[in-house]
Amino acid sequence: MKYIGEHLIVGQLGNFFVVTSFCFALLAMLSYFYASKNEDKTWKKLANISFIGHTASVFGIVAVLFYMLMNQYFEYYYVWQHSSKALPLRYIFSCFWEGQEGSFLLWTFWHTVLGSIIIWRNGKLTTSVMAIFSSVQVFLSSMLLGVYILEYKVGSNPFTVLLRDHPEFVNLPLFKSADYLLHLDGRGLNPLLQNYWMTIHPPTLFLGFASTLVPFAYALAGLWKKRYNEWIKPAMPWTIFSVMILGTGILMGGAWAYEALSFGGFWAWDPVENASLVPWLTLVGGMHLMLIQEKKGGVSFTMFGLVLISFILILYSTFLTRSGILGDSSVHAFTDLGMSGQLLLYLLSYIFIAIVALVVNYKSLPRNKKEEDLWTREFWMFTGSLVLFISSFQILISTSIPVINKIFGSSLAPPSDAISHYNSWQIPFVILVLLFMSFSQFLKYKKSAFKSFSKAILRSLIAALVISGAIGFLLKMTNPFELFLLFTGSFAVLGNLDYWLSILKGKFRHAGSSISHIGFGVMMIGALISMSQQKNISNNTSSFDVEQLGEEFENKENILLMENDTLPMDDYYVSYRGKEEEGVNVYFLVEYMKRLPNGDFESVFTLRPRVQTNPRMGNVAEPDTRHFLDKDIYTHVTWAILEEDKKDEEEYGEPEVKNVKVGDTLYLKQSIVILDSVRRILPIDIKQVELQESDIAVEAKLIAWDFNTKKHTLRPLFIVKDTSEIYGLPDGIEDIGLKVSFNNINPKDGSIELTFIQKNVSRDFIVMQAIVFPYINLLWLGCFIMIIGTIIAIYSRVKFGK
Amino acid sequence: MKKTHIIGIIVIAISIGVIFGSINDSSTYSNFTESSKNEQAEFHIVGYLNKEKPQVYEPQKNPDLFQFYMYDKDSVERKVVLHKSKPQDFDRSEQIVIIGKSKKNEFHADQILMKCPSKYDNGSPEFQSPEELEKERTANS
Repeated sequence: MKYIGEHLIVGQLGNFFVVTSFCFALLAMLSYFYASKNEDKTWKKLANISFIGHTASVFGIVAVLFYMLMNQYFEYYYVWQHSSKALPLRYIFSCFWEGQEGSFLLWTFWHTVLGSIIIWRNGKLTTSVMAIFSSVQVFLSSMLLGVYILEYKVGSNPFTVLLRDHPEFVNLPLFKSADYLLHLDGRGLNPLLQNYWMTIHPPTLFLGFASTLVPFAYALAGLWKKRYNEWIKPAMPWTIFSVMILGTGILMGGAWAYEALSFGGFWAWDPVENASLVPWLTLVGGMHLMLIQEKKGGVSFTMFGLVLISFILILYSTFLTRSGILGDSSVHAFTDLGMSGQLLLYLLSYIFIAIVALVVNYKSLPRNKKEEDLWTREFWMFTGSLVLFISSFQILISTSIPVINKIFGSSLAPPSDAISHYNSWQIPFVILVLLFMSFSQFLKYKKSAFKSFSKAILRSLIAALVISGAIGFLLKMTNPFELFLLFTGSFAVLGNLDYWLSILKGKFRHAGSSISHIGFGVMMIGALISMSQQKNISNNTSSFDVEQLGEEFENKENILLMENDTLPMDDYYVSYRGKEEEGVNVYFLVEYMKRLPNGDFESVFTLRPRVQTNPRMGNVAEPDTRHFLDKDIYTHVTWAILEEDKKDEEEYGEPEVKNVKVGDTLYLKQSIVILDSVRRILPIDIKQVELQESDIAVEAKLIAWDFNTKKHTLRPLFIVKDTSEIYGLPDGIEDIGLKVSFNNINPKDGSIELTFIQKNVSRDFIVMQAIVFPYINLLWLGCFIMIIGTIIAIYSRVKFGK
Repeated sequence: MKKTHIIGIIVIAISIGVIFGSINDSSTYSNFTESSKNEQAEFHIVGYLNKEKPQVYEPQKNPDLFQFYMYDKDSVERKVVLHKSKPQDFDRSEQIVIIGKSKKNEFHADQILMKCPSKYDNGSPEFQSPEELEKERTANS
């Protein structure tokens, strides 16, 4: 059959680029290898041309894939799978890297950009570095090949056509007609990923992943060419860059989880988060060891180890998240797309290369003969780096439990309470790192006098004690570990600030490390306070008794909120105001109010947590958070009725009798009622019945606020006629479904007896969770300062070569 | 002995501690039969929902209580009492992991993980049944 309207030529162009990118990478690897081995100019020229060819091909693949997504060519599997007609154009980037092929392409793309910059700078060791770079590119470009070699599928091609390369589609009735394209729509983008985070987070994180290749390639080139120290200088700015960008990517993931996912916090110790944190920690350790080695030497083996392992851990994290091995243990693990064998080969090859390079060079690595002095900067930097290594090792072991199961056939499950497991392990490590960070800068390389050193740190030490003591007291913190972390955090901030201002005289070009350290300290203090002081304010304050249901209901986290009911929560009164539908989103309006001294309610803000409905991929709930300078209020709808339900017949229910005193507040089904006053009125003022002068009439004035905070007044009467006939004249307001009658006066305690009859309403409701995160802005401020600090450090390195 | 050697030994000692300590903190994947034998211990149980039996969620009474019936991997069925709100999209889940303890004939869970393969599947055509595709086609034309 001849199909109408297919755009097969575009895919062929894409495939052409896929093949050329692989061939050029292979050619570049071989020629860089010979160029490096023989110090040969001709090989180098050929190699550079090949790498540029490879770069151009990768750009070509990217352009073709974008073109296909932009024009919605649904005959292509990748476009069909990740996009749909209804999807707004702004999500095109998200579609691009939603799939495995697209994200590997993004990674490859960043490698070509970084590699091109290295070629352009053409510094020391370029050919050796680029040989290693190109070998990685051979692996990555093979991931897109999608060809069969000896019945084994190599790579997954993004340009396959539904009808030709996917036989399972051919027999579907839709494809029986020649003009099937007119009716074909894509499957669409996972609703969880339809937000701006998905546009900015993956490129940042993958640039972070890609950037770890640079220090790895330089270190390996240093070992290969036996330039054990010379590689450090050109690699240093790249290493700092990698720490900065990978850190930014990880924090962005945390911010995404906090803002848009229902993790209920910024860091959930999810395996996918951990997998990228581990290499960051080792790289930070490696970077500090590079500084020591550059200044003084003596740590080459540990330095090479940490720098090399960082890149390997990036590969390992890709393997973890992409092979489906995390399966049951992660909320957002990916399923196996048949690439895990290839990924494993890739991972094992580089582990093998790194081990061989280290073992072969072990004997000839430069060593310091002299015994290290205790009071030197390098000693504490070295120890700190090792603490970072152990900290990353602990995260690695716990995250790798599914891998351990696979290897040893055990059936271990990850810790049930991941957050407390990791926090209790990691807090001591953080305390040590912060402590070393706070005083090490005051020590000199090689040797310092302890006396002058202790004098120098005294000022910030005392200030840190006072400040952390005051904060701990104000926030009523009692956990000794948390208090100690608060102290070391403050010490790290103040110590680095003091060092920068008084010893470096606040000079900009030396500011990088101090400012990064200050940022890290502020970030840890923010994390500590917002995590340890976070308060779930959606405890059950509704009138429904839940205790009867069982004894183990202490950790109530959700609350039921009927439409227009107002419940007190922490400092607020919260009301659910109904839902709004906008396209696929259902927004729930949750109004937070304050009570004024005169009893009126004043709206403070309204949050709009939402549920995105998607019949194909499932509904996704997204929280909404109100940010204040000193706290955030996070609100998440955990359960709601999405279909419009038919309203039941509204009827008045059974009467309820209550004894009320003046000033009492009653929370009723549709209103909040206050007994304002009880007074005797003149019988002539009463219109409803005819009364004598001698008769007694008492009026109860009730003020009722409905849930739109409109004020109503009810005036039921209590009448004594002819000294013996007692009856009440009820009052009612239809709008709030309330009738009140005044039955009696209890002279003993001054209360009156009222009967309330309320309308039964079947109202909409939500089950929601609200958490207050105090001082979480400190965390973000710290992240920001740390990133600024690393940027300054990169700038100084590149500009002044310091 | 050099200071670096001392540090090296300390690092190795802590690392071994980390390995055993971290693994010690871990829980185990198991089944309902095993979990009934030890009501004190916490278990992770992988299984799937019994769609025939009723699910009880009455948020008006208690938003943090949801009950359903689940089979473990050995097809042993048990009533599960989850002390949390009913997860959105619960009925679509194909595989469930619950974390908690056995209590007489019930399993009391305080955490739940669901796998909806549709979210991360590799786009097999069965996902959109031929009828679905056909319906879409007629709707479009």
